[in-house]
Amino acid sequence: MFSQNIIKELTNIVGRDNILTKREDLICYSYDATNQKFLPDVVVFPRGAEEISLILKMANFEDFPVIPRGAGSGFSGGSLPVEGGVVVSLERMNRILNIDTENLTAVVEPGVVTGEFQAEVESLGLFYPPDPSSLKFCTIGGNVAECAGGPRAVKYGVTKDYVLGLEVVLPTGETINTGAQTLKGVVGYDLTKLFVGSEGTLGIVTKIILKLLPLPATTKTMLAAFPDMKNAARAASSIISSKIIPSTMEFIDKNCVKCVEDYLNIGLPIDTDAILLIETDGDKDLAEKEADAMRKICLDNSAIEVKTAKDKREVKELWKARRAISPSLKKLNPDKINEDIVVPRNKIPDAIAGIQKIAEKYNLTIANFGHAGDGNIHVNVMIDKSNKDELSNAQKAVEEIFKLTLNLGGTISGEHGIGISKMPYIGMELSPAAIDVMKRVKQVFDPKGILNPGKIFPKGRE
Amino acid sequence: MSLSSLSTLNSQLSNCVLCGTCRSVCPTFGVINREPASARGKVSLCSAFLNKEITLSERFIKHINECVLCAACEENCPNDVPVIDIILAARQEIFKKGKTDFSRIAVSKFFGSEKIGRNALKVASKIQNIFFKQVPEESGLHRRFPLPFVHGKRLAPRLAEKFFLEDRRQKTEVRSKKDKSQPRIGFFAGCLINYIYPNIGEASLNVLEKAGAFVVVPLDQSCCGMPAIGIGDIEGAKRLALKNLEAFEKYELEYIATACATCGDGLKKRFKELLADEGEDLQKRVENFSSKVRDITELLVNDLGIRQSPVSGLRSPVSIVTYHDPCHLSRGQGIKDEPRKLIEMSGHNFKEMKNPCKCCGMGGSFNITNYEFSMEINRKKALDIKSTGADIAATTCPGCIMQIKDGLHQLGVKAKVVHVVELITLNN
Ligand SMILES: Cc1cc2nc3c(=O)[nH]c(=O)nc-3n(C[C@H](O)[C@H](O)[C@H](O)COP(=O)(O)OP(=O)(O)OC[C@H]3O[C@@H](n4cnc5c(N)ncnc54)[C@H](O)[C@@H]3O)c2cc1C
Ligand code: SF4
Ligand code: SF4
Repeated sequence: MFSQNIIKELTNIVGRDNILTKREDLICYSYDATNQKFLPDVVVFPRGAEEISLILKMANFEDFPVIPRGAGSGFSGGSLPVEGGVVVSLERMNRILNIDTENLTAVVEPGVVTGEFQAEVESLGLFYPPDPSSLKFCTIGGNVAECAGGPRAVKYGVTKDYVLGLEVVLPTGETINTGAQTLKGVVGYDLTKLFVGSEGTLGIVTKIILKLLPLPATTKTMLAAFPDMKNAARAASSIISSKIIPSTMEFIDKNCVKCVEDYLNIGLPIDTDAILLIETDGDKDLAEKEADAMRKICLDNSAIEVKTAKDKREVKELWKARRAISPSLKKLNPDKINEDIVVPRNKIPDAIAGIQKIAEKYNLTIANFGHAGDGNIHVNVMIDKSNKDELSNAQKAVEEIFKLTLNLGGTISGEHGIGISKMPYIGMELSPAAIDVMKRVKQVFDPKGILNPGKIFPKGRE
Repeated sequence: MSLSSLSTLNSQLSNCVLCGTCRSVCPTFGVINREPASARGKVSLCSAFLNKEITLSERFIKHINECVLCAACEENCPNDVPVIDIILAARQEIFKKGKTDFSRIAVSKFFGSEKIGRNALKVASKIQNIFFKQVPEESGLHRRFPLPFVHGKRLAPRLAEKFFLEDRRQKTEVRSKKDKSQPRIGFFAGCLINYIYPNIGEASLNVLEKAGAFVVVPLDQSCCGMPAIGIGDIEGAKRLALKNLEAFEKYELEYIATACATCGDGLKKRFKELLADEGEDLQKRVENFSSKVRDITELLVNDLGIRQSPVSGLRSPVSIVTYHDPCHLSRGQGIKDEPRKLIEMSGHNFKEMKNPCKCCGMGGSFNITNYEFSMEINRKKALDIKSTGADIAATTCPGCIMQIKDGLHQLGVKAKVVHVVELITLNN
């Protein structure tokens, strides 16, 4: 499909050093963290909106797919070139353009690594809360496209709560600005919110205006171990209902604890059924008061022990462990079907109990961890895909877990997006009319369907 | 089993879940910012090669060579993917097919000779002044004419007037009088100490003796073999390992000390792997040899238990000292505290730099074949050293010393770069 002419044109746009066509290089842009592979035809590294605009105009004319890509750490296959085409890697657009310490805003290019940006603003006493566990390597552009969240969501919200405005190149090649540098703004439709979470299907984001907060003065980190997941879930619910909003409240089940402890050996309590990792931040006195109150609630809910991290190093270790859970689960079984359902917070105990039943029914190992504070549960069905029975059981189990989630008033994806992984299930949550209007929105932005095709919506009628 | 062929690493390759965690720590990725330079990219390429999706193409080789073997990826990989073993196995394939480029082989052969201290380098040391001019404020050299392998900006190290081992030859093999109660220690020099930094070797022997040891320097020792392993020349490395075994087995030793982090890592771990298939008898000998190997800092602090600098009386002015953790000592051998303890004993003021464990970019022959790339990695290190305001940057690997000297010189930073053992004798 890719004529030498197209490649020549693309080379003219981005320059000889910024285009890859050799198989060896294409292989390195064929995957993301879903562990699936689709080879692109070309990879380009544009420097800015103008180059991207030219590429998209050409794609419309020549009719080839264009797939935006950040760090390729996505969990739903959003950056995979499922129909081949040109991968537009934003790795080169990685500059922090401005940090405005007077108005508490910042402007960044999409390829900036989330954690690097956080470190930069923190050195100025500022705070960018969204903290996906992949923050050390994922990009802010990818976070915007997936509306990534993290442990701090319970108190601080997710990526969409921090995006004030965007520069976006539309699939047809026009560059637009949405939102404003200001905290308020109601001129026209809120396109910013539409682009956030659009999984790279409505436009390529080339600049992001972000809202910042003052850095909290102190953070207290605690670890509570429970004899039973039910106790942990109840403790989490009572903390919220006692009107304390911790800055994070993560739960980790025993399968997950074993896997990370095996990797890091930092002395996590492996003989318990569940752990809660809780943080509170803000003014020193208040943080301490809240920490005491939460410790008491944990003990009232039969916690075996509640430990407070002594110093920065211990906090760092605990977070390293928390962030390593997802990739380290491979120790349980070679393949993972990972879902990130969300239920209303007081329904966590029901959700966990339901998932356990489903695991027993299909004789599967399911490892759960996630954000007890906001009801987001990462459900990992650990299987060996070469075992066909197990695979088909896992697929049935996933469907039942989604049904359970929706019955509890939840949603089937909290932060990872639909991409290709959850495409078959979108109809379980959204009505045909809702899907239809979304498809029409896509049609308006991308009449030729060249931008990131084959994502979110299953082909044909559902 | 390590140092094995790529095909036997198949299951380890499939342990990579492509999460991308290694992107955040990989120094080659940090410079190039493109996936093939990351550990994830290189592991994927090796998988693709095994699945016959690609061949030993020029492009594949280029990517596989863009690795400084720093192990930062392994340390941070949640699935224990043995990235270095995978890359070394790929380099073995490249070497076996005769596709290793000439400059790499040259470096490995030139330094990694079986008879270190008695070859062409000796002549080179005499004639280097024709090609190089000395840089006044630094103990380094700048080239006078364009030279192959020598980059224009490079601060080349000066070859020693007298090589360490050769200098020993004129005296005797044995450093001090025999006394039964003294711990008997064999000193492993390694190429860089032998050819370029004999002063580090001398300082090591001094400190060891002052700490009450009986030191032997076997003259038949050769290169540790790490340069050969680095280019995939396993047979070459094996020959060197055997040679070293013989050289040290001649003496009854309790410990084998080295002041080179890379040699230490090789002697402790790689010998066993290199000679794994050579019979039980040899395995026992290697086991015996490797179990005696100590980095000089751990030997002094842990085994000889020195609690204060064996040299008393600070004569030189008290300086601010910072410390760089060599990859092959901190990650390779898990030694971080001991060098810091020694610096404390030296009486100088210690100041930790940001990211002390970040690779300096040397990466063995990587520095010679990919000079600018390697210095780009080094830049971060040099800046971190600069921000400490230290007068002395200490480390425990002559390779790192060479690299950091060059980097600081290019930044115009005047700090001295020394081996930790030099600090505790500098005061003498
Ligand atoms: C170990 C691990 C832990 C994780 N933890 C979390 C977590 O806690 N919370 C969470 O939310 N996610 C998590 N993720 C998932 C993933 O990191 C996030 O979805 C992240 O936002 C993806 O960023 P990326 O830069 O890797 O994007 P990619 O994976 O490269 O791309 C993701 C999507 O964004 C699109 N895209 C990228 N850049 C642009 C752009 N500039 N314009 C338009 N579209 C673009 C792509 O087309 C694709 O659809 C985790 C992943 C891993 C591997
Ligand atoms: S960190 Fe390990 S598992 Fe993750 S991509 Fe890198 S090598 Fe693979
Ligand atoms: S050893 Fe170092 S340079 Fe090589 S892939 Fe790993 S992190 Fe990167």
